[in-house]
Amino acid sequence: MFDKRTGNFTKIVSICAIIFFMAPLVVIILASFSPTELVLFPPKGFSLKWYHNIFSSSVNFMSGLSNSLEVGILATLLDLLIAVPAALGLAKYKVRGAKKLETFFASPMYIPSITFSLVLLQLFAMMGRVPASLRIFAGHLIIIMPYIFRNTYSILTTYNWTLEEAAASLGASPRRTTFDITLPLVKAGIVSGAILSFLYSFDEAVLASMLNSPKFITLPVRIMNYMEYAFDPTLAAISTLLILFSLLIIILVEKVVGLNMFMK
Amino acid sequence: MVLNNKKQFYLLIAPAALVLLVMFVIPVIFILFSSFKDGGIANYQTFLLDPFYLGILWNTIKISLITTIVCLAVGYPVAYFLARSESKTKNILMIIILFPFLVSSVVRSYGWMVILGKKGLVNQFLLAIGVIDSPIKIMYTSTAVILGLVHLLLPYMIFSLAGIIQGIDSNLEYASESLGGSRLRTFFQILLPLSAPGILSGSILVFTLSMTSYVTPRLLGGANFLMIGTMVFQEISINFDWGMASAISYILLFFILIFLFLFNMLGSRINNRIGGTSHV
Repeated sequence: MFDKRTGNFTKIVSICAIIFFMAPLVVIILASFSPTELVLFPPKGFSLKWYHNIFSSSVNFMSGLSNSLEVGILATLLDLLIAVPAALGLAKYKVRGAKKLETFFASPMYIPSITFSLVLLQLFAMMGRVPASLRIFAGHLIIIMPYIFRNTYSILTTYNWTLEEAAASLGASPRRTTFDITLPLVKAGIVSGAILSFLYSFDEAVLASMLNSPKFITLPVRIMNYMEYAFDPTLAAISTLLILFSLLIIILVEKVVGLNMFMK
Repeated sequence: MVLNNKKQFYLLIAPAALVLLVMFVIPVIFILFSSFKDGGIANYQTFLLDPFYLGILWNTIKISLITTIVCLAVGYPVAYFLARSESKTKNILMIIILFPFLVSSVVRSYGWMVILGKKGLVNQFLLAIGVIDSPIKIMYTSTAVILGLVHLLLPYMIFSLAGIIQGIDSNLEYASESLGGSRLRTFFQILLPLSAPGILSGSILVFTLSMTSYVTPRLLGGANFLMIGTMVFQEISINFDWGMASAISYILLFFILIFLFLFNMLGSRINNRIGGTSHV
């Protein structure tokens, strides 16, 4: 019955929005198979040479990829270890000033990455030699923490804590209660927070541009640097692989926790 | 709270709190103070008095405002469709909005570069059908930056609005129409006021994210179309002026914080009027 409310106008705008959203992605995928350096439409043939190019050592996309994965995975894992307990503590023991603490744990969301990247740049300059991998890791650790904290916390606030009492009255230790009862039930929040955090770090280019060194450059910055001196479909090929990677993650999320998790 | 619980509580929040304090709060304050020292205050004065810098600030605000308005105008009908439709198209639309959301912003800007460039698809097409004789310049203009930002930020607007519209009882709209209100009047007098919290929170998100954007203006705006984000990088990489770069980035931070504070107040006033809870 609700469909009556969505008139032709909203339908047409929605269809235009779909085209608008998909246009650059479709163009990238088609361009990656272009046989010519200049992307022509309609394409004059089919070639996989740009994919071959990705793996040639001169562009260094593969080292960029491994650097990005390294920073993203480590920062996400460490944040899981510290931010999930914080959310747990805040939700379980409803202390006075919980609202203020909640804002505190989400505070890195409110600082522009540009500002924070300059803060870290100067801080590390004062500290002397800090490897670029550690500098970018430290920056990402902070800016992605709010995503893990908030997604976990928002599920925990609706969690039925009497379940813990029930488990305890049946003889479960506090540790077992947390790991066997509470954490599995709020899994969806933790997983969605972790995925958002990882993707944020994986895609992040401001801190990664400001804090890198020639020896340690992450993939988004590598791609941007490449654009500055060459504009051939190698970029389309690596971009297509990244699009497939995102698609893989969406399918994984849908299977594990359901896509609704991202609507919160 | 019992003593034992208190200890537990502190143990749980301590690691994250310590990391945030040592690596975030203290450095941000420390570098702020050191940016005032050794004549650093002059950098702030330069920014606030020099027409060049003020022009870039104004340019950034202008681009962000236009991006917000376009996102709102396009996002509202789409969000309404998402909230009210029960057809299968709805799920397809949801995935299509969500999907680019998860694709790297560098990749998405690159897609627009292929479309809008001097030898890009738009120019190829226009030349082929004979509308133009020589390529038109779209890349490295405000149009390209706005297009890229809208593509990047529209999903935030749509999801902020769809959540709120879904919560508005559609019977209110039926009631209004059965009492003789036109669709347009129903929209302006029922839907618009009730969805104000979503409009506000979506606009705040889109506006602040465009104010602080870097990748999109760098790739689609280039070196001659500066926004605050790209300006800061130029101060570092071309002028080697760390002091000026910090001053600009702290001015941006203050601007965002004041903006958020003002709109939070506006948000709670709107919520008081329509009797909802805070979403902002």
